[in-house]
Amino acid sequence: MSIQQQYRSRAKELLQDGSVKMVIGYGEGTTATRRRPIFITNPDDTDRLVLDAACKTNLAGYLLREGLLADQKSVAIFLSPSGVRTINILASESQLSSAQVVVLGFQIQGDTVKALEGTKASDFSPLIAKRKEKRKAQPSHEMTRKLEQMTPAERFAFWEGEFSRCIKCYACRAACPMCWCRRCVVDNNQPQWVNTSSHTLGNLEWNLVRAFHLAGRCVECGNCSEACPVNIPLHLLNRRMTEEVLTAFDHYPGADEHQEPVLASFRKDDPETFIL
Amino acid sequence: MKIAAKRDEAPGVKTLRLEFQNPADQEKFAETYRTGMFGLYGIYGEGESTFCVASPETRNDYVECTFRQSGRVTTALAAAEEGDLITFRGPYGNRFPIEEFHGKNLLFIAGGIALPPTRSVIWSCLDQRDKFGKITIVYGARTVADLVYKQEIDEWAEREDVELVLTVDPGGESPDWKHHVGFVPTILEEAAPAPGNCVAVLCGPPIMIKFTLASLKKLGFEEANVYTTLENRMKCGVGKCGRCNVGSVYVCKEGPVFTAEDVSAMPASDL
Amino acid sequence: MTKILYSDDLTACFSAWRKEGTKVLGPVQQAKTSGFGEVQDAKELDLDLVLTDRTLKELFFPRTEPMLSYSIGKQQIDTSEFLPSEHPCIIFGARPCDAAGMAIDDELFNWDYRDEYWFRRRDRSVIMTIACKESDDFCMCTSLGLAPDSAKGSDILLRPLTSGKGWQVEELTPKGSKALLPIASLLKEGTEEAAPTAEVPVLFDLEACTTWLANPENFESHFWKEISERCIGCGTCTYLCPTCHCFDIQDEGDTYEGIRRKNWDSCSFQLFTMHTSGHNPRNTQSARWRQRIMHKFNYFSDKFSVHSCTGCGRCTRECPVDMGVRETLQAISTLPK
Repeated sequence: MSIQQQYRSRAKELLQDGSVKMVIGYGEGTTATRRRPIFITNPDDTDRLVLDAACKTNLAGYLLREGLLADQKSVAIFLSPSGVRTINILASESQLSSAQVVVLGFQIQGDTVKALEGTKASDFSPLIAKRKEKRKAQPSHEMTRKLEQMTPAERFAFWEGEFSRCIKCYACRAACPMCWCRRCVVDNNQPQWVNTSSHTLGNLEWNLVRAFHLAGRCVECGNCSEACPVNIPLHLLNRRMTEEVLTAFDHYPGADEHQEPVLASFRKDDPETFIL
Repeated sequence: MKIAAKRDEAPGVKTLRLEFQNPADQEKFAETYRTGMFGLYGIYGEGESTFCVASPETRNDYVECTFRQSGRVTTALAAAEEGDLITFRGPYGNRFPIEEFHGKNLLFIAGGIALPPTRSVIWSCLDQRDKFGKITIVYGARTVADLVYKQEIDEWAEREDVELVLTVDPGGESPDWKHHVGFVPTILEEAAPAPGNCVAVLCGPPIMIKFTLASLKKLGFEEANVYTTLENRMKCGVGKCGRCNVGSVYVCKEGPVFTAEDVSAMPASDL
Repeated sequence: MTKILYSDDLTACFSAWRKEGTKVLGPVQQAKTSGFGEVQDAKELDLDLVLTDRTLKELFFPRTEPMLSYSIGKQQIDTSEFLPSEHPCIIFGARPCDAAGMAIDDELFNWDYRDEYWFRRRDRSVIMTIACKESDDFCMCTSLGLAPDSAKGSDILLRPLTSGKGWQVEELTPKGSKALLPIASLLKEGTEEAAPTAEVPVLFDLEACTTWLANPENFESHFWKEISERCIGCGTCTYLCPTCHCFDIQDEGDTYEGIRRKNWDSCSFQLFTMHTSGHNPRNTQSARWRQRIMHKFNYFSDKFSVHSCTGCGRCTRECPVDMGVRETLQAISTLPK
């Protein structure tokens, strides 16, 4: 049985026996190669679910839809390992209870999709631990390295160029499951921390503030870069931040739901010298 | 425009009287301004905020506005002092057709901070009192402290040609409060003004408008004889920026004054 | 006999226009994203694009533009307006859907009050549109009553020759004819045939849709919630739409001096309509998506007798969650009226 068939039946069972009230998954999109998020509540509709290598979006952010989990009922959701990490972070940041999330785990490898064992987010912790080691060993991405080798002036020019295209549509924020703030800093105007205009300065302010807010929280799911309509390589910033917290604090965001937020907790052996 | 006077109305609520610096601007204003219209009041560096012109068309050598300090611009306006300069764009929008009210009884109903637009009509009518029949004012606020224009309320109370009904929400009364306690729609139904030959002008927060319209209907008022104002968020004031519409109606151009009949034709869930 | 402009003469045309003091802009690739930019040489153009990622509207309604600068003294406030220059420019190689969008927005920007920021740029510009030989999966101009060779909003329409070596030149407006004067000697008379235009399938019955939308009962339909369930509330569809025109006004600076700017804004955003009191007339994402569709196919048409959509398809093409006008109207056209 294909993984798609297998997960369709699983979704149907979960809805039929009432263990979940909704399945969040992927459905067919406008074109043959596109997939779109779908929300299934009727067991008869589970045949609309699609699972293949085109299912790249991290759907975890939909769990934070206002009121969705308020009734304490469970929701099943298609998640890749980075999606599971997202659940762990959201749980550790008290945004959801992982007990209400039934994971339909999968992993894309090239053109194929592999099913992942487990139903609770915690079932995936060993897998995530392995990924952490792999991530540590993984050499920096070519572009990250290239940026690293630039002089500060060159690097600034690079990002200035990239951000000059930003139109402030906030698709990066809307697509990011970690951007759950009820009121984003950019929408605060007393004081106006960030210029709302999309001139280069305003764009630089916005994108850098967002990158810093994601430091130690980003799971590198790629939603932001995928969503960006002007193709700014936002993931490069986040990737750099990930490497920083990994080296400095041995922190791999979303390892499990009990993990403390790296920049909001303190340990005596933290490398900061300025904290007493 | 220059702030000629500043008055505290209620906690967080202030009135500014603005005077024109340039006589030509004053003349232009006097020519175009009619009761019901609004303006955009601003402080450079902070932005602009939209409120009605609270002063009546019969007194058009100055502009008064009353606002609650809540956002960035209103905070700056509240901090401005007498003698300071602020900007005014307007007057924009449509008006109350006051000539059509001639010879009729008038019922004014206002809630809280929405007395200013009503007050503009009230004074426009009181300044030519003989043209109208009976005038009733029903005004309610959350608490006694939240009533605005207290001095003018006293003035209306003393006038024999005005019937004034004041109320505060239950729990909002002070020990010496001698007027009604209850929500505006209830008190209005108790006062039961006769709908015949009567025009009602109703201003208040969306929720109060909703319930008061129902009460007016119960009392027998026809929708075409009930006027209200919509106060949606605006930026440009001239029909371009695209946020103040309710259905296909642009509040900045086709409003802010509407009859209850107009409002009924709008999609209710977008109000 | 028709006037023909050969591709080989294009750079010479650009020089001729520049000599007259006219700027030339066209579709170019700018760091992984295509849009309109100034060009010196025809080689810089990317005329093979079905459609640029970014729209023509940015040339008339930039995403952020200064309106005025202010400086505040004790006794007076000095301001000076930044009205756009009237420097003439030629936009070579727009697409019919984008050009039509400009004509549609003319209505709005001229409604009662003439928006000088828009019209100074419109008046100084000549739009030379190239009819489409190709379309992609998202194009839907024909569903909106337009076509790959619509003339709406263009000053000159160019039809690609079958040979691929140039275009037939069709003058549409006096402004267009005037723009051809400096390059008159570079235009040849010829009989070369134009290539067939792209075949763009009609995807929905627009009339059925507008009838459904006009029924007040449907405003409260559950349909709106279902169709927008996955909407994440970003501004992509509105910012990449050739006709979406909503904006915000923001001051940048301090209470002594600064700049007041006009910035794009979007009906997708929660804050767009939020009252200071906290009351929000369009408090849910479905109400906001409904507003966008209603605005385009009911409110705008009510006022200006034209829909505020040209079928460029960018909303669907660029949507992070694969939504768009297309899916919504396709779904509506199948609903009972």
